This record gives sequence, C-alpha cells and structure tokens, in this order.
Amino acid sequence: MIVRDRFRGLFPKYFLALFLAVALPLAINGAIEAWFGYRDQRARLDQLLGVQATSAAAEIHNFISDIASQLGWLVQLPWTDEADDGRRTDALRLFRQAPAIVSLTLIDNNGLERLHVSRFGLNRIESRTDRSADPALVGAHAGRVWFSDVSYNRGSEPYLTVAIVGNRPAVGAAIAEVNLKLIWDVVSAITVGETGLAFVLDRQGRLIAHPDISLVLRGVEETTSRPFRAIRDAIGPGEGFATSRDAQGRPVAASEAPVAGPDWTVVVAQPLSEAYAPIYAALQRTTVLLAGSTIFAGLLAYAFAHRMTEPIRLLEEGTERIGAGSFEHRISIQTGDEFQRLANSFNRMAGELAVAQQHQERITKLKRFLAPQVADLVDRAGDDSVLDGRRTDVVVVFCDLRGFTAFSAGVAPEDVMSVLSGYYEVLGRVIAQFEATLISFSGDGLMVLVNAPVPVEEPALRAVDLAVEMQKRVQGLITNWRSQGYQVGFGIGLASGPATVGRIGYDDRLDYTAIGSVVNLAARLCASAADREILIDTDTATSVRGKRLIEDLGSRQIKGFDEAIPVFGISHDAL
Amino acid sequence: MAAAAVWTSSSHAQKPSMPVIGYLCPESPELFGSRLRAFHQGLREAGFVEGHNVAIVYRWASGQYARLPALAGELIARDVDLVVAPGGAPVALAAKAAGVTKTIVFEMGGDPVQLGVVDSLSRPGGNITGVSSLSVDVSPKRLELMQELLPAATTLGVVTNPTSPTAGSQLQRLHAAAETLGVHLKIFSASKAEEFESVFASVARESANALVFTSDPYFAFRSQRLADLAMTYGVPAITQTRDFPLAGGLMSYGGDFMQSHRRAGIYAGRVLKGEKPADLPVQLVTKVEFVINLRTAKLLGREFSPSVVSGADEVVE
Repeated sequence: MIVRDRFRGLFPKYFLALFLAVALPLAINGAIEAWFGYRDQRARLDQLLGVQATSAAAEIHNFISDIASQLGWLVQLPWTDEADDGRRTDALRLFRQAPAIVSLTLIDNNGLERLHVSRFGLNRIESRTDRSADPALVGAHAGRVWFSDVSYNRGSEPYLTVAIVGNRPAVGAAIAEVNLKLIWDVVSAITVGETGLAFVLDRQGRLIAHPDISLVLRGVEETTSRPFRAIRDAIGPGEGFATSRDAQGRPVAASEAPVAGPDWTVVVAQPLSEAYAPIYAALQRTTVLLAGSTIFAGLLAYAFAHRMTEPIRLLEEGTERIGAGSFEHRISIQTGDEFQRLANSFNRMAGELAVAQQHQERITKLKRFLAPQVADLVDRAGDDSVLDGRRTDVVVVFCDLRGFTAFSAGVAPEDVMSVLSGYYEVLGRVIAQFEATLISFSGDGLMVLVNAPVPVEEPALRAVDLAVEMQKRVQGLITNWRSQGYQVGFGIGLASGPATVGRIGYDDRLDYTAIGSVVNLAARLCASAADREILIDTDTATSVRGKRLIEDLGSRQIKGFDEAIPVFGISHDAL
Repeated sequence: MAAAAVWTSSSHAQKPSMPVIGYLCPESPELFGSRLRAFHQGLREAGFVEGHNVAIVYRWASGQYARLPALAGELIARDVDLVVAPGGAPVALAAKAAGVTKTIVFEMGGDPVQLGVVDSLSRPGGNITGVSSLSVDVSPKRLELMQELLPAATTLGVVTNPTSPTAGSQLQRLHAAAETLGVHLKIFSASKAEEFESVFASVARESANALVFTSDPYFAFRSQRLADLAMTYGVPAITQTRDFPLAGGLMSYGGDFMQSHRRAGIYAGRVLKGEKPADLPVQLVTKVEFVINLRTAKLLGREFSPSVVSGADEVVE
C-alpha cells in the first residue's frame, strides 16, 4: 500500500530528479571521456602505424639500396678492350656478399656485355653481345639507377632487375637480377604490435613480400594479391590509417608508406581487435564505472527520496489521524530539519487541540450547573478539583412559585410551559449575573448555591442581592401573569452555613450538590416564605446586617426543626 | 634410462590426439643424421617437437631405393597423418605412386614440375608439396667449375645414376653446356656403391681428366666413399653436396640441404596445423653453395684461381 503510493506523487519525482542529478553528469562525463579516449587512441594508432609503415619502408628501401650500392663497386673502373679477370673476382665476391643477387651482367662503355655470372646458369665471359638497347641499360642511363617491374621466375619467385651506371660513361653499367624472396628476412622481422605484419606490393599491386612466404610465391596470382591490394586501396591518398579486411576477412587497421626507387608500397596492418584493444579496454572500464555509479546513483536517489518523502508520509498519516480525532497521536520525525520542526508543530497543534477539546467538554459539563463565566473560570484553573467533595460554608438559596400547583391544574399545558419557560429564563439570567451555582430545579422550584464550588467575596451579601434581584424580576412577571388571571406568587428562602458539597451521580449524569442542615433550613425558609417574601436565617442576617435592610420577623416554628428559629426578612421594595 | 624411455613411449601412447608423421627415408639414420636434424629444427619452428606434440614413424630404405614403395605402403597401413618424403625425387615419386592419400611433403634436388610430382610451383595441386634444393638444375655449373679448374682438359667424365628419374634431363643439360664450354663428355654409370671404384679406375684409362657427378641422392649420401676413391685414384671430382669436400673431396656445388630439409620441416608443421598442401607453393631454396677443399687441390697438384676461391662459400684449408 505504502510502496504502491510511493510510486505516485513525490517519491518518483524526487527519485527521478536525484537519480538524474547524479547519473546524468556521470553518463555525460563518461560519454565525453570515451569519445575523447577513442579519438586520442585513434590518433595514437594513426601515428604509430604511420611510423611503423615509414620505418618498414625504410628497411625495404635499405634492402634494395644495399644491393644498388654493392653494384656501385662494379662500375668504378673504366673498361679497356682486354679481358679483365679482376672483374669476375669482384662479381663472385659480390655473390657472396649479396645472396639475393641471382645473376650479374657487366656492360662496358660501348654497351657490350663483358661479363655475365649466374648462380644457376653458365657464365659468359667477354661475349661482347650488344646490350645497348636493353631497357635496363637505357633506364639506368636515364636515371643512374633503374628498377624493372617485378617478374615471377617460373611463375612463383618474384625477381627484380636492378641496373646501375657509373659516374661517367667509361665505367659502363652493371645489371643484377635479384631474388626478392630474400626480402622475407627483412619483412618477417618487422613487428607491428603483437600480431600485426608488414607486406610489400609492387607498382601493379602484386604481393612481393610477406611474412608468409607461401603467399609471396603465389603473388603473381590475382586471387592472392587482391585482398592485399584492397587494403592498400582502402588507405588511399588521404591522411591517416584505414580499416579494411585481410585475406581471412578479419578487420585490420593499416597504414602505408612508399618505397622510393622501385616504386613499391609497404603496408603495415594490425588486427583491429588488437589495435583497438586499448580503446575497448577504456570503453569497458567506462561502462563498468558508469554502471556502477548508476547503481550507486539509484541507491543514493532512493535513499534521499525516501528521506524526503518518508517524513511527508508520516506527516500526512499523522495529520489524518489527528484529523480523525486521535489527538494523543504524535508524529515522530527525527530528521533535525524543517520536517522535524513541522512535525513538532503538528504535535503541538494536536496537543492544543486535545486541550481545547477537553476544555470544551469540561465547559459543557460545568455549564450545566455553573454560570458560564464561573465555568470558564473553573476551566481556566485547569483543574476539576474545585468540584471535589468538601465541607465549606455556603449560602443556599431556594425559591418557588406560590399557588403554582393549583394554577397548573387549571390551565392548558402549553400555558404552564410558557409560564415556566419565562420564569426560568429570568431566573437563569439572574443566577448567571450573580455567578451562583444552579444545583437543581424541579417543577417551579429552584436551588442555587453561592460560594461553592467557587468561593466568592461576601457570599451572604451576594446571595441576598441575588434573592432580591430574583424577587424583582419574578414579581415583574407575576404582575403580568396576574393581569392574565393567573393567581401565583413567588417566595425565596436562604440560609448560610457549612455543608458538604461535591459531585454526585454517575458517568455523564453528574450533578453538583450540597448536603447539610443548611440546605434543609433554606428549603424550609423558602416553604414558609409568602409571596414577595425573602426569608433569611440568623447567620445570613448577621452577615448582611448594616448593609441591607433587614427586618426581624421573630422566631418561627420551622418544619423539621425542634425549636422555633429566628427568621429575618429582606424587603426588596426597600432596595 | 630404459625405464624413462618406456615411460615416455607409453605416455605418448596415451595421447590419441597427437598427430603422426610418417618419415620415409631413402637412407639409414647414420647417413641421414644431419638432414634429420635440419628437419626437426624446421618442425620446431612450426611449433612441433617429436614426442611432445607429434609422433614420427620412421621407415629407412638404407640405400635400397627399390624398397621405398613397400615402405611407403607400410606408412599408409599405419594410417599416418602426413608423409614426409625427403632425400630426392625417388622418395617423392615412390610415396606418390604408393597411393598416399594424406599429404606428402617432399624434399628433393630435382624440378618437381618436370618430374610430374606437382602441377606448378605456385599451385602444386593434389596432396603434395615440398621443397626443391635446385641441385639438379645446377649440374651444368659443376661442369663449368671443373672446366675452369682444368682449362686445358678436352674431355670431362660425368657420372650418372641410370636409376635416377632425373638422369636423362641432367645429361641433356650437361651435353648442352659441354657444347657451349667446348669440352667433350665421357659418361660413366653407377647405381650401386660397388660400381664406384670401377668408375674411378676407368677415368685414368679413358682420357677423361676429371669427374663431374650428376645430382643424385645416392651419390650425395656416399660422399665419404667418393672422396676416398677420388683421393686414391688422384681424380679431381665435383659433387652436389658439401659433405664431399668436407670428407676430402675437391669441391661441391649444389643447393643448401640444411635449408631445404628445414623448410620441409616447417611445411610439415604447417600441414599438421591444418593448412592445405594446395595452398603451400613449392619452395626453392635460396642458397646454392660452392665449397672447395684447398688441401685436396694441393694433394692433387691443382690450383684454384683467385676468383674461384673468392667466390667459394666455404673453403677447407
């Protein structure tokens, strides 16, 4: 229930906001880092492959130029017409020095072949064949060093013809056939990364050097050379390395460099998986980090969202319960922030509401027998103990209508109720005015207590004034009633003295009352009071003597009292 | 030691996945030792070591080349994964004729195309490929070198093995070269070791001044015997293999057999790794070596010209 609620409302918003606040910068940062890492690595790879291609080309070039410079030794001395055995010695020495040279031909200044030595065929000495139209010779004369196109001996071994002339025509020229299979030693020694390799293509794009010699031996075949040419063509004239696929279809990163002279191309190729291994590793690292930090962001966001919404949920729940009347409920939030302050203020509010309600209930109860202001007073004291049973001096006031029973029998009930209602309304107002305590009323009679439960100043005087006010008011009513033919009178009796006061009754049916002879005395005095009469006992009379006009009515035999007791009257006409 | 050998062989028997090479050899282990070492070196370069990840079954013809087809048949019966046929064209031809269905890797001095062993060097075709040391091709060079040593000689003896599949083509080339060089040839035949002596003996009787041996494995593996005979009869001779001058013969000119056997080993390894023989072009060795023995020349009362000495790859003094 709570969990389901969690995915509506604030929780998902907070969660999403917090999650994005953490995860998004991380993701962007990761992506940017990955991108720049990729670019850097590509640049590094480009540089690396470029350097390797250049250095491989330099090594291949060295192989060729070594041969050319060895040949250079043979075109230094001018030719004479005599046979020269020294040249043959030089030629055979060259064979030992340059194992790649298969045959060597020396041409004199007239374009005549003077010496031909071969590893496989027979030598020719002083054949004097005219070689001046030989393209090798023509080419060498044009550019000092001449390289032929690659030819394939017996359809397999790549051969190159190198021709060189000396610095003057008299020294003639040297033409050598070179078995390019021996470049294998150079090309197989070139390492490109872990598994990369270098290979050489001639001008026509035929394979002439590769670490796998068996490919070179089929270099003349289109099917062998095509995939290598494809790699070279993929690189193109643009800058940087290119990606292509090797003969096995594996992607490779390749770069090339030209070999000046024979006009070859050296290509270095590295499997892409190896070339990009650092990129992949970096990407993988970034991905793992991102995944980790995303999970962390999620947990963090969940925790924060929980921290933020949990107090709100508690507040919501709390206010609902308080609203439903559980004022004793307290919202427990210990976050130390605004939420806790808010919860505390809710708690305070709940407490105040509870107090207010109790106050209301008590007032309601008190108002049943206390004048509203007295009830308020008692309530403000915040203590019911004033209503507890105790013995205290009180003034008890009884009043009732004379001839009411006879009157009520003779008139319609509505008239009786109308008379009573007006009667009690007047009395109620007076009781409230004098802050007296209404104890009970039955029919036309009424009992009022002064000085309990709330003590007052000069209770007797107040009771007397209360009685006088009652007489005045009720007599006003009686005048009216009499004009309507209702023969009723109103008498009051009051007595002072100690009585036991307190609440009696059960549950909500509680009343405040006074018990003691003073109550009986007051009731009896009331009973013996005639219309317009206020009878008071000795104690009361003593208390108000000098303050109010008291009339000594002598001793009267009062029912329930053995001896006649002195009775006094108050003339309200006199006030 | 014996226990260790038993242990190793039994442990090998427990590796059914280990490939088996059938090694068909025309000679005995003693004569073939240096070639076998070169073969093992090549095999090791390709990642295979005998007894470790490859087993080798040897069949030795011990000079009786007629036994080669039967020995090849034995290897077929053993169902080896690969047949290596080193030491000359007869071996390759015997293996091919025996109907080996697995790959054959040969090592020979002849031209495998001309012998019909392969279709072409770059695309051998079928189940056979290998290495040629070019020794057969350079027979005329031996004649040239001999003529250079003996410029006054008019007739040079040539020894040929009539049983060799390359004998005809070699003689043809030699005759053509002799014409160019302006010398006459006296042809001697020998196909058994017992015939060698009569050849040397007859050189003196006939007017030939020296002996040029054609390229032939049977001759090549009997260099010591030939060197001894040449010294005994005081005959200048040249053969295809460096073993000859090293054993006291005068000189040799031929392909580097160390290189060819080593390359055969590499090819055998590549085939074991799963490469198709049709994708492995026939390799020609890159090195043809010229070895001379100056001591022998002195004993024979001959002298090499400075240009010959400077052109020699190795000089025994």
